Amino acid sequence: MVGGRDDVGALPRRREVSDLYATVLEVVKRYHGAARITRVSYGAGMPVDRVRNFMDRLLALGLLKSEEVDGRPVYDITARGQEFLDTYWKMRGYIEVLGRTTENGSARGHRRPGPPGA
Amino acid sequence: MTDTQVPRGSRIRLGRVDGDLRVERGASIDVEGRLIVSGEARFEGNAEILGDLECRDFSNEDGTVRISGDLTVQQALRADDGSLVVGGSLSAERVDIDRELHVKGPARAREFDIGGALDGEATLTAEKVSVGGRLRIAGKLEARSVEAGGAVEISEASLDRLEVGGLAHLGGGEVRESIEVGGRFVAESSFKFGSLEVGGLAEFRGDGTGGSIDVGGVLTARGNLSFSKLEVGGIGTIGGTAKGESVDVGGKFDVRGPLELARSLEVGGAVSVGESVTGDRLEVGGSLEARRAVFQGSAEIGGAVRTRDGLKAASIELHRKSHAIGPLVGGRVEIGRMSRAEDVYGSTVEVGPKSRAGRIFAERIRLGENAEVDEVQYTVELRAEEGVRIRSPPQQVSRLPPFPL
Repeated sequence: MVGGRDDVGALPRRREVSDLYATVLEVVKRYHGAARITRVSYGAGMPVDRVRNFMDRLLALGLLKSEEVDGRPVYDITARGQEFLDTYWKMRGYIEVLGRTTENGSARGHRRPGPPGA
Repeated sequence: MTDTQVPRGSRIRLGRVDGDLRVERGASIDVEGRLIVSGEARFEGNAEILGDLECRDFSNEDGTVRISGDLTVQQALRADDGSLVVGGSLSAERVDIDRELHVKGPARAREFDIGGALDGEATLTAEKVSVGGRLRIAGKLEARSVEAGGAVEISEASLDRLEVGGLAHLGGGEVRESIEVGGRFVAESSFKFGSLEVGGLAEFRGDGTGGSIDVGGVLTARGNLSFSKLEVGGIGTIGGTAKGESVDVGGKFDVRGPLELARSLEVGGAVSVGESVTGDRLEVGGSLEARRAVFQGSAEIGGAVRTRDGLKAASIELHRKSHAIGPLVGGRVEIGRMSRAEDVYGSTVEVGPKSRAGRIFAERIRLGENAEVDEVQYTVELRAEEGVRIRSPPQQVSRLPPFPL
Protein backbone atom coordinates (compact mmCIF):
# COMPACT_ATOMS: atom_id res chain seq x y z
CA MET A 1 0.00 0.00 0.00
CA VAL A 2 1.08 3.53 -0.58
CA GLY A 3 2.83 4.94 2.45
CA GLY A 4 1.77 2.02 4.56
CA ARG A 5 3.48 -0.78 6.38
CA ASP A 6 4.36 -2.60 3.19
CA ASP A 7 7.19 -0.32 2.18
CA VAL A 8 10.22 -2.57 1.91
CA GLY A 9 13.06 -1.18 3.96
CA ALA A 10 10.99 1.70 5.24
CA LEU A 11 10.09 2.17 8.85
CA PRO A 12 6.59 0.94 9.56
CA ARG A 13 4.18 3.78 10.15
CA ARG A 14 0.48 4.30 10.16
CA ARG A 15 -1.09 5.64 7.02
CA GLU A 16 -1.98 9.27 7.44
CA VAL A 17 -4.78 11.05 5.63
CA SER A 18 -2.43 12.38 2.96
CA ASP A 19 -1.19 8.81 2.36
CA LEU A 20 -4.78 7.66 1.85
CA TYR A 21 -5.52 10.42 -0.65
CA ALA A 22 -2.34 9.54 -2.53
CA THR A 23 -3.26 5.84 -2.44
CA VAL A 24 -6.67 6.54 -3.97
CA LEU A 25 -5.17 8.78 -6.66
CA GLU A 26 -2.51 6.23 -7.58
CA VAL A 27 -5.06 3.44 -7.90
CA VAL A 28 -7.39 5.62 -10.01
CA LYS A 29 -4.45 6.58 -12.23
CA ARG A 30 -3.75 2.92 -13.04
CA TYR A 31 -7.15 2.56 -14.74
CA HIS A 32 -6.52 5.32 -17.29
CA GLY A 33 -9.93 6.96 -17.07
CA ALA A 34 -11.95 3.80 -16.42
CA ALA A 35 -11.65 3.41 -12.63
CA ARG A 36 -14.76 2.04 -10.97
CA ILE A 37 -15.28 2.66 -7.28
CA THR A 38 -15.24 -1.04 -6.35
CA ARG A 39 -11.92 -1.55 -8.11
CA VAL A 40 -10.50 1.53 -6.37
CA SER A 41 -11.76 0.13 -3.08
CA TYR A 42 -9.93 -3.18 -3.61
CA GLY A 43 -6.80 -1.48 -4.91
CA ALA A 44 -6.61 0.97 -2.05
CA GLY A 45 -7.58 -1.61 0.57
CA MET A 46 -10.43 0.53 1.87
CA PRO A 47 -14.16 -0.18 2.18
CA VAL A 48 -16.31 1.24 -0.62
CA ASP A 49 -18.16 3.73 1.62
CA ARG A 50 -14.89 5.12 2.95
CA VAL A 51 -13.28 5.31 -0.45
CA ARG A 52 -16.37 7.09 -1.75
CA ASN A 53 -15.87 9.85 0.85
CA PHE A 54 -12.25 10.27 -0.20
CA MET A 55 -13.17 10.35 -3.89
CA ASP A 56 -15.93 12.92 -3.30
CA ARG A 57 -13.39 15.13 -1.57
CA LEU A 58 -10.84 14.65 -4.37
CA LEU A 59 -13.53 15.49 -6.93
CA ALA A 60 -14.44 18.66 -5.01
CA LEU A 61 -10.78 19.69 -4.97
CA GLY A 62 -10.41 19.08 -8.69
CA LEU A 63 -7.86 16.31 -8.20
CA LEU A 64 -10.19 13.72 -9.73
CA LYS A 65 -12.80 13.91 -12.47
CA SER A 66 -15.64 11.53 -13.27
CA GLU A 67 -18.02 10.71 -16.10
CA GLU A 68 -20.85 8.24 -16.66
CA VAL A 69 -20.07 5.19 -18.79
CA ASP A 70 -22.85 2.61 -19.25
CA GLY A 71 -24.80 4.33 -16.47
CA ARG A 72 -21.99 3.98 -13.93
CA PRO A 73 -19.47 6.60 -12.84
CA VAL A 74 -15.85 6.07 -13.79
CA TYR A 75 -13.00 8.19 -12.50
CA ASP A 76 -9.74 9.63 -13.76
CA ILE A 77 -6.97 11.71 -12.25
CA THR A 78 -6.63 15.37 -13.30
CA ALA A 79 -3.48 17.38 -13.97
CA ARG A 80 -3.90 18.89 -10.48
CA GLY A 81 -4.16 15.40 -9.05
CA GLN A 82 -0.91 14.43 -10.73
CA GLU A 83 0.65 17.60 -9.35
CA PHE A 84 -0.48 16.55 -5.87
CA LEU A 85 1.14 13.12 -6.34
CA ASP A 86 4.41 14.59 -7.62
CA THR A 87 4.63 16.89 -4.59
CA TYR A 88 3.53 14.18 -2.17
CA TRP A 89 6.17 11.68 -3.30
CA LYS A 90 8.92 14.26 -3.34
CA MET A 91 8.10 15.27 0.22
CA ARG A 92 7.87 11.63 1.32
CA GLY A 93 11.35 11.08 -0.08
CA TYR A 94 12.80 14.01 1.85
CA ILE A 95 10.93 13.13 5.04
CA GLU A 96 12.29 9.59 4.95
CA VAL A 97 15.86 10.81 4.44
CA LEU A 98 15.50 13.43 7.18
CA GLY A 99 14.03 10.76 9.47
CA ARG A 100 17.00 8.48 8.81
CA THR A 101 19.55 11.20 9.52
CA THR A 102 17.80 12.21 12.74
CA GLU A 103 17.86 8.62 13.97
CA ASN A 104 21.57 8.35 13.18
CA GLY A 105 22.05 11.35 15.43
CA SER A 106 23.71 13.30 12.65
CA ALA A 107 22.67 15.92 10.20
CA ARG A 108 25.13 14.47 7.69
CA GLY A 109 23.02 11.75 6.19
CA HIS A 110 25.58 9.83 4.24
CA ARG A 111 29.28 9.32 4.06
CA ARG A 112 31.28 11.75 2.00
CA PRO A 113 34.49 10.81 0.33
CA GLY A 114 37.54 12.14 2.13
CA PRO A 115 39.03 15.43 1.04
CA PRO A 116 41.21 15.23 -2.06
CA GLY A 117 44.74 14.32 -1.21
CA ALA A 118 43.83 12.95 2.19
CA MET B 1 -26.25 -31.14 -23.09
CA THR B 2 -27.44 -30.05 -19.61
CA ASP B 3 -25.62 -28.07 -16.97
CA THR B 4 -24.14 -29.96 -14.06
CA GLN B 5 -25.04 -28.35 -10.76
CA VAL B 6 -23.31 -28.80 -7.42
CA PRO B 7 -25.76 -27.82 -4.66
CA ARG B 8 -25.00 -25.33 -1.90
CA GLY B 9 -22.73 -26.71 0.81
CA SER B 10 -22.47 -30.17 -0.77
CA ARG B 11 -19.37 -32.30 -1.38
CA ILE B 12 -19.25 -34.45 -4.48
CA ARG B 13 -16.75 -36.25 -6.69
CA LEU B 14 -16.42 -35.34 -10.37
CA GLY B 15 -14.18 -36.35 -13.28
CA ARG B 16 -15.58 -34.85 -16.48
CA VAL B 17 -18.45 -32.47 -17.23
CA ASP B 18 -19.87 -32.06 -20.74
CA GLY B 19 -21.37 -28.58 -20.87
CA ASP B 20 -21.33 -26.02 -18.07
CA LEU B 21 -20.66 -26.62 -14.38
CA ARG B 22 -22.53 -24.53 -11.82
CA VAL B 23 -21.19 -24.64 -8.29
CA GLU B 24 -23.24 -23.09 -5.52
CA ARG B 25 -21.84 -21.38 -2.43
CA GLY B 26 -19.93 -23.53 0.04
CA ALA B 27 -19.63 -26.58 -2.26
CA SER B 28 -16.57 -28.81 -2.37
CA ILE B 29 -15.53 -31.03 -5.28
CA ASP B 30 -13.18 -34.00 -5.04
CA VAL B 31 -11.54 -34.56 -8.38
CA GLU B 32 -11.01 -37.91 -10.08
CA GLY B 33 -7.73 -37.39 -11.89
CA ARG B 34 -8.42 -34.05 -13.54
CA LEU B 35 -11.80 -32.30 -13.65
CA ILE B 36 -12.45 -31.29 -17.25
CA VAL B 37 -15.41 -29.00 -18.00
CA SER B 38 -16.12 -28.56 -21.71
CA GLY B 39 -18.08 -25.33 -21.09
CA GLU B 40 -18.01 -22.73 -18.35
CA ALA B 41 -17.20 -23.44 -14.71
CA ARG B 42 -19.38 -20.97 -12.80
CA PHE B 43 -19.00 -20.47 -9.05
CA GLU B 44 -21.58 -18.62 -6.95
CA GLY B 45 -19.53 -17.78 -3.85
CA ASN B 46 -16.93 -19.63 -1.80
CA ALA B 47 -16.06 -23.08 -3.11
CA GLU B 48 -13.15 -25.50 -3.32
CA ILE B 49 -11.81 -27.91 -5.90
CA LEU B 50 -9.55 -30.61 -4.52
CA GLY B 51 -7.46 -31.36 -7.59
CA ASP B 52 -6.88 -29.97 -11.08
CA LEU B 53 -9.53 -28.11 -13.09
CA GLU B 54 -9.63 -27.48 -16.83
CA CYS B 55 -12.47 -25.53 -18.42
CA ARG B 56 -13.34 -23.30 -21.36
CA ASP B 57 -14.34 -20.28 -19.20
CA PHE B 58 -14.23 -19.66 -15.47
CA SER B 59 -16.36 -17.24 -13.48
CA ASN B 60 -16.88 -16.55 -9.82
CA GLU B 61 -19.07 -14.06 -8.06
CA ASP B 62 -18.77 -12.73 -4.51
CA GLY B 63 -16.51 -15.25 -2.83
CA THR B 64 -13.21 -17.08 -2.88
CA VAL B 65 -12.64 -20.17 -4.99
CA ARG B 66 -9.77 -22.41 -3.91
CA ILE B 67 -8.26 -24.89 -6.31
CA SER B 68 -5.67 -27.20 -4.79
CA GLY B 69 -4.15 -28.29 -8.11
CA ASP B 70 -3.61 -26.73 -11.52
CA LEU B 71 -6.17 -24.46 -13.17
CA THR B 72 -6.32 -24.32 -16.97
CA VAL B 73 -8.84 -21.97 -18.55
CA GLN B 74 -8.91 -21.94 -22.34
CA GLN B 75 -10.51 -18.52 -22.60
CA ALA B 76 -11.58 -16.03 -19.92
CA LEU B 77 -11.20 -16.26 -16.16
CA ARG B 78 -13.35 -13.73 -14.31
CA ALA B 79 -14.16 -13.11 -10.64
CA ASP B 80 -16.64 -10.33 -9.85
CA ASP B 81 -16.25 -9.20 -6.24
CA GLY B 82 -14.32 -12.41 -5.82
CA SER B 83 -10.89 -13.91 -5.21
CA LEU B 84 -9.07 -16.98 -6.47
CA VAL B 85 -6.48 -19.20 -4.79
CA VAL B 86 -4.65 -21.73 -6.96
CA GLY B 87 -2.40 -24.33 -5.34
CA GLY B 88 -0.72 -25.36 -8.60
CA SER B 89 -0.17 -23.62 -11.91
CA LEU B 90 -2.56 -21.20 -13.63
CA SER B 91 -3.08 -20.79 -17.35
CA ALA B 92 -5.76 -18.68 -19.07
CA GLU B 93 -6.23 -16.36 -22.01
CA ARG B 94 -7.36 -13.45 -19.86
CA VAL B 95 -7.63 -13.11 -16.07
CA ASP B 96 -9.95 -10.45 -14.61
CA ILE B 97 -10.38 -10.58 -10.84
CA ASP B 98 -11.87 -7.87 -8.66
CA ARG B 99 -10.25 -8.83 -5.38
CA GLU B 100 -7.19 -11.06 -5.06
CA LEU B 101 -5.34 -13.78 -6.92
CA HIS B 102 -2.89 -16.10 -5.16
CA VAL B 103 -1.00 -18.66 -7.24
CA LYS B 104 1.58 -21.12 -5.94
CA GLY B 105 2.77 -22.47 -9.26
CA PRO B 106 3.72 -20.76 -12.53
CA ALA B 107 1.05 -18.41 -13.91
CA ARG B 108 0.55 -17.57 -17.57
CA ALA B 109 -2.06 -15.47 -19.39
CA ARG B 110 -2.15 -12.86 -22.11
CA GLU B 111 -3.51 -10.33 -19.63
CA PHE B 112 -3.92 -10.15 -15.86
CA ASP B 113 -6.27 -7.46 -14.56
CA ILE B 114 -6.53 -7.66 -10.77
CA GLY B 115 -8.30 -5.08 -8.61
CA GLY B 116 -6.75 -5.83 -5.23
CA ALA B 117 -3.63 -7.98 -5.02
CA LEU B 118 -1.75 -10.51 -7.11
CA ASP B 119 0.53 -12.84 -5.22
CA GLY B 120 2.59 -15.40 -7.14
CA GLU B 121 4.95 -17.87 -5.48
CA ALA B 122 6.61 -18.87 -8.78
CA THR B 123 6.93 -17.27 -12.22
CA LEU B 124 4.40 -15.16 -14.08
CA THR B 125 4.32 -14.69 -17.84
CA ALA B 126 1.97 -12.27 -19.59
CA GLU B 127 1.76 -9.48 -22.11
CA LYS B 128 0.09 -7.08 -19.71
CA VAL B 129 -0.31 -7.11 -15.93
CA SER B 130 -2.46 -4.51 -14.21
CA VAL B 131 -3.02 -4.55 -10.45
CA GLY B 132 -4.89 -1.92 -8.46
CA GLY B 133 -3.09 -2.63 -5.19
CA ARG B 134 -0.13 -4.89 -4.60
CA LEU B 135 1.79 -7.23 -6.89
CA ARG B 136 4.28 -9.75 -5.56
CA ILE B 137 6.01 -12.34 -7.71
CA ALA B 138 8.56 -14.57 -5.97
CA GLY B 139 10.00 -15.84 -9.27
CA LYS B 140 10.65 -14.26 -12.62
CA LEU B 141 8.05 -11.92 -14.11
CA GLU B 142 8.10 -11.68 -17.89
CA ALA B 143 5.72 -9.18 -19.48
CA ARG B 144 5.52 -6.29 -21.86
CA SER B 145 3.87 -3.93 -19.37
CA VAL B 146 3.21 -4.06 -15.64
CA GLU B 147 1.16 -1.50 -13.74
CA ALA B 148 0.26 -1.39 -10.06
CA GLY B 149 -1.35 1.29 -7.96
CA GLY B 150 0.25 0.30 -4.67
CA ALA B 151 3.41 -1.74 -4.42
CA VAL B 152 5.33 -4.15 -6.62
CA GLU B 153 7.82 -6.74 -5.41
CA ILE B 154 9.45 -8.87 -8.10
CA SER B 155 12.42 -11.20 -7.66
CA GLU B 156 13.51 -10.98 -11.28
CA ALA B 157 12.00 -8.73 -13.93
CA SER B 158 12.09 -9.05 -17.69
CA LEU B 159 9.75 -6.27 -18.78
CA ASP B 160 9.35 -3.57 -21.37
CA ARG B 161 7.50 -1.10 -19.12
CA LEU B 162 6.82 -0.79 -15.40
CA GLU B 163 4.50 1.77 -13.81
CA VAL B 164 3.96 1.74 -10.05
CA GLY B 165 2.13 4.14 -7.76
CA GLY B 166 3.90 3.50 -4.48
CA LEU B 167 6.88 1.20 -4.08
CA ALA B 168 8.73 -0.87 -6.67
CA HIS B 169 11.17 -3.37 -5.20
CA LEU B 170 13.00 -5.46 -7.79
CA GLY B 171 15.48 -8.20 -7.07
CA GLY B 172 17.19 -7.69 -10.41
CA GLY B 173 16.74 -8.14 -14.14
CA GLU B 174 15.81 -5.51 -16.68
CA VAL B 175 13.07 -3.14 -17.73
CA ARG B 176 13.93 -2.43 -21.34
CA GLU B 177 11.86 0.70 -21.96
CA SER B 178 10.55 2.81 -19.07
CA ILE B 179 10.04 2.66 -15.32
CA GLU B 180 7.75 5.16 -13.61
CA VAL B 181 7.40 4.95 -9.84
CA GLY B 182 5.53 7.44 -7.70
CA GLY B 183 7.16 6.73 -4.38
CA ARG B 184 10.21 4.59 -4.03
CA PHE B 185 12.24 2.38 -6.34
CA VAL B 186 14.68 -0.23 -5.06
CA ALA B 187 16.80 -2.57 -7.19
CA GLU B 188 18.54 -5.17 -5.02
CA SER B 189 21.19 -6.31 -7.51
CA SER B 190 22.55 -5.42 -10.94
CA PHE B 191 19.80 -3.85 -12.96
CA LYS B 192 19.30 -2.60 -16.53
CA PHE B 193 16.67 -0.10 -17.57
CA GLY B 194 15.63 2.13 -20.45
CA SER B 195 14.54 5.17 -18.46
CA LEU B 196 13.71 5.63 -14.79
CA GLU B 197 11.40 8.26 -13.31
CA VAL B 198 10.82 8.21 -9.54
CA GLY B 199 8.88 10.77 -7.51
CA GLY B 200 10.51 10.14 -4.14
CA LEU B 201 13.48 7.84 -3.53
CA ALA B 202 15.48 5.65 -5.90
CA GLU B 203 17.98 3.15 -4.60
CA PHE B 204 20.32 0.88 -6.56
CA ARG B 205 21.87 -1.68 -4.20
CA GLY B 206 23.93 -3.17 -7.04
CA ASP B 207 25.20 -1.65 -10.28
CA GLY B 208 22.71 0.19 -12.50
CA THR B 209 22.92 0.60 -16.27
CA GLY B 210 20.40 2.54 -18.29
CA GLY B 211 19.21 5.69 -20.00
CA SER B 212 17.74 8.78 -18.39
CA ILE B 213 17.11 8.95 -14.64
CA ASP B 214 14.79 11.52 -13.09
CA VAL B 215 14.34 11.36 -9.31
CA GLY B 216 12.29 13.96 -7.48
CA GLY B 217 13.82 13.44 -4.06
CA VAL B 218 16.85 11.31 -3.34
CA LEU B 219 18.96 8.92 -5.44
CA THR B 220 21.32 6.41 -3.87
CA ALA B 221 23.48 3.96 -5.80
CA ARG B 222 25.76 1.69 -3.78
CA GLY B 223 27.73 0.50 -6.80
CA ASN B 224 28.45 1.85 -10.27
CA LEU B 225 25.84 3.76 -12.20
CA SER B 226 25.76 4.56 -15.90
CA PHE B 227 23.07 6.69 -17.49
CA SER B 228 22.40 9.21 -20.22
CA LYS B 229 20.85 12.12 -18.34
CA LEU B 230 20.62 12.15 -14.54
CA GLU B 231 18.30 14.63 -12.82
CA VAL B 232 17.80 14.59 -9.06
CA GLY B 233 15.68 17.13 -7.23
CA GLY B 234 17.34 16.75 -3.86
CA ILE B 235 20.34 14.58 -3.05
CA GLY B 236 22.30 12.15 -5.21
CA THR B 237 24.87 9.67 -3.86
CA ILE B 238 26.81 7.15 -5.94
CA GLY B 239 29.08 4.72 -4.12
CA GLY B 240 31.11 3.58 -7.14
CA THR B 241 31.85 5.12 -10.51
CA ALA B 242 29.37 7.27 -12.39
CA LYS B 243 29.32 7.61 -16.16
CA GLY B 244 26.83 9.43 -18.34
CA GLU B 245 26.01 12.38 -20.54
CA SER B 246 24.86 14.97 -18.02
CA VAL B 247 23.95 15.46 -14.37
CA ASP B 248 21.58 18.03 -12.89
CA VAL B 249 21.17 17.85 -9.11
CA GLY B 250 19.18 20.41 -7.14
CA GLY B 251 20.85 19.93 -3.79
CA LYS B 252 23.89 17.82 -3.09
CA PHE B 253 25.74 15.26 -5.19
CA ASP B 254 28.37 12.81 -3.95
CA VAL B 255 30.28 10.31 -6.06
CA ARG B 256 32.80 8.10 -4.33
CA GLY B 257 34.65 7.00 -7.47
CA PRO B 258 35.28 8.89 -10.71
CA LEU B 259 32.55 10.85 -12.45
CA GLU B 260 32.80 10.83 -16.23
CA LEU B 261 30.38 12.98 -18.23
CA ALA B 262 30.14 13.76 -21.93
CA ARG B 263 28.25 16.98 -21.33
CA SER B 264 27.34 19.11 -18.30
CA LEU B 265 27.45 18.82 -14.53
CA GLU B 266 25.02 21.22 -12.86
CA VAL B 267 24.59 21.13 -9.10
CA GLY B 268 22.60 23.65 -7.07
CA GLY B 269 24.39 22.94 -3.82
CA ALA B 270 27.57 20.96 -3.26
CA VAL B 271 29.24 18.29 -5.36
CA SER B 272 31.88 15.95 -4.02
CA VAL B 273 33.78 13.44 -6.17
CA GLY B 274 36.28 11.08 -4.54
CA GLU B 275 38.29 10.62 -7.74
CA SER B 276 38.45 12.72 -10.91
CA VAL B 277 35.50 14.44 -12.58
CA THR B 278 35.47 15.11 -16.32
CA GLY B 279 32.91 16.69 -18.61
CA ASP B 280 32.20 19.52 -20.98
CA ARG B 281 30.62 22.12 -18.71
CA LEU B 282 30.44 22.66 -14.94
CA GLU B 283 28.02 24.86 -13.04
CA VAL B 284 27.96 24.62 -9.26
CA GLY B 285 25.96 26.92 -7.02
CA GLY B 286 27.75 25.92 -3.84
CA SER B 287 30.97 23.97 -3.82
CA LEU B 288 32.97 21.42 -5.82
CA GLU B 289 35.31 18.95 -4.18
CA ALA B 290 37.27 16.41 -6.24
CA ARG B 291 40.74 14.91 -6.66
CA ARG B 292 40.88 16.58 -10.06
CA ALA B 293 38.30 18.26 -12.29
CA VAL B 294 38.75 18.65 -16.03
CA PHE B 295 36.12 20.30 -18.26
CA GLN B 296 36.44 20.98 -21.97
CA GLY B 297 34.20 24.07 -21.84
CA SER B 298 33.32 26.39 -18.98
CA ALA B 299 33.40 25.95 -15.21
CA GLU B 300 31.33 28.30 -13.07
CA ILE B 301 31.45 27.99 -9.29
CA GLY B 302 29.33 29.98 -6.86
CA GLY B 303 31.01 29.12 -3.59
CA ALA B 304 34.11 26.99 -3.20
CA VAL B 305 36.28 24.61 -5.18
CA ARG B 306 38.67 22.22 -3.51
CA THR B 307 40.86 19.88 -5.54
CA ARG B 308 44.16 18.13 -4.95
CA ASP B 309 45.44 18.08 -8.55
CA GLY B 310 43.48 21.08 -9.81
CA LEU B 311 40.52 22.33 -11.79
CA LYS B 312 41.01 22.75 -15.53
CA ALA B 313 38.54 24.24 -18.02
CA ALA B 314 38.52 26.43 -21.14
CA SER B 315 37.08 29.15 -18.94
CA ILE B 316 36.79 29.27 -15.16
CA GLU B 317 34.61 31.72 -13.27
CA LEU B 318 34.61 31.92 -9.49
CA HIS B 319 31.84 34.11 -8.15
CA ARG B 320 32.38 36.80 -5.52
CA LYS B 321 33.55 35.70 -2.07
CA SER B 322 34.40 32.26 -3.41
CA HIS B 323 37.32 30.15 -2.29
CA ALA B 324 39.56 27.87 -4.38
CA ILE B 325 41.93 25.31 -2.93
CA GLY B 326 44.16 23.57 -5.47
CA PRO B 327 45.43 24.99 -8.76
CA LEU B 328 43.10 26.58 -11.31
CA VAL B 329 44.09 25.94 -14.91
CA GLY B 330 42.20 27.62 -17.71
CA GLY B 331 42.15 29.50 -20.86
CA ARG B 332 40.39 32.42 -19.27
CA VAL B 333 40.16 32.51 -15.46
CA GLU B 334 38.02 35.08 -13.62
CA ILE B 335 38.16 35.25 -9.85
CA GLY B 336 35.33 37.32 -8.38
CA ARG B 337 35.80 40.14 -5.88
CA MET B 338 36.76 39.31 -2.30
CA SER B 339 37.66 35.74 -3.28
CA ARG B 340 40.66 33.59 -2.44
CA ALA B 341 42.62 31.27 -4.69
CA GLU B 342 45.92 29.40 -4.72
CA ASP B 343 48.01 29.04 -7.90
CA VAL B 344 46.31 30.11 -11.14
CA TYR B 345 47.38 29.21 -14.70
CA GLY B 346 45.75 30.59 -17.86
CA SER B 347 45.96 32.57 -21.04
CA THR B 348 44.07 35.42 -19.37
CA VAL B 349 43.65 35.69 -15.59
CA GLU B 350 41.54 38.35 -13.89
CA VAL B 351 41.63 38.69 -10.13
CA GLY B 352 38.73 40.72 -8.69
CA PRO B 353 39.03 43.62 -6.23
CA LYS B 354 40.04 42.73 -2.65
CA SER B 355 40.77 39.17 -3.71
CA ARG B 356 43.81 37.14 -2.82
CA ALA B 357 45.74 34.63 -4.95
CA GLY B 358 48.97 32.63 -4.78
CA ARG B 359 51.13 32.46 -7.89
CA ILE B 360 49.71 33.51 -11.25
CA PHE B 361 51.12 32.29 -14.59
CA ALA B 362 49.42 33.75 -17.66
CA GLU B 363 49.85 35.57 -20.94
CA ARG B 364 47.72 38.44 -19.68
CA ILE B 365 47.03 39.26 -16.04
CA ARG B 366 44.69 41.86 -14.61
CA LEU B 367 44.58 42.54 -10.89
CA GLY B 368 41.64 44.47 -9.40
CA GLU B 369 41.78 47.16 -6.71
CA ASN B 370 43.47 46.10 -3.48
CA ALA B 371 44.06 42.56 -4.74
CA GLU B 372 46.93 40.64 -3.15
CA VAL B 373 49.09 38.13 -5.05
CA ASP B 374 52.21 36.20 -4.03
CA GLU B 375 53.88 36.07 -7.44
CA VAL B 376 53.11 36.81 -11.11
CA GLN B 377 54.75 35.57 -14.30
CA TYR B 378 53.35 36.84 -17.61
CA THR B 379 54.36 36.89 -21.25
CA VAL B 380 52.27 39.74 -22.76
CA GLU B 381 50.62 42.11 -20.29
CA LEU B 382 50.18 42.87 -16.58
CA ARG B 383 47.60 45.43 -15.46
CA ALA B 384 47.32 46.25 -11.80
CA GLU B 385 44.75 48.66 -10.35
CA GLU B 386 45.12 50.89 -7.32
CA GLY B 387 46.23 49.31 -4.06
CA VAL B 388 47.40 46.01 -5.58
CA ARG B 389 50.09 44.15 -3.60
CA ILE B 390 52.42 41.64 -5.27
CA ARG B 391 54.79 40.05 -2.76
CA SER B 392 57.60 39.20 -5.25
CA PRO B 393 58.57 41.52 -8.10
CA PRO B 394 56.46 40.72 -11.21
CA GLN B 395 58.32 38.83 -13.93
CA GLN B 396 57.71 39.15 -17.65
CA VAL B 397 58.99 35.91 -19.17
CA SER B 398 59.34 34.67 -22.74
CA ARG B 399 57.86 31.32 -21.84
CA LEU B 400 55.56 30.23 -19.03
CA PRO B 401 56.26 27.07 -17.02
CA PRO B 402 54.29 23.97 -18.06
CA PHE B 403 50.70 24.05 -16.73
CA PRO B 404 49.49 21.19 -14.54
CA LEU B 405 46.78 18.77 -15.82
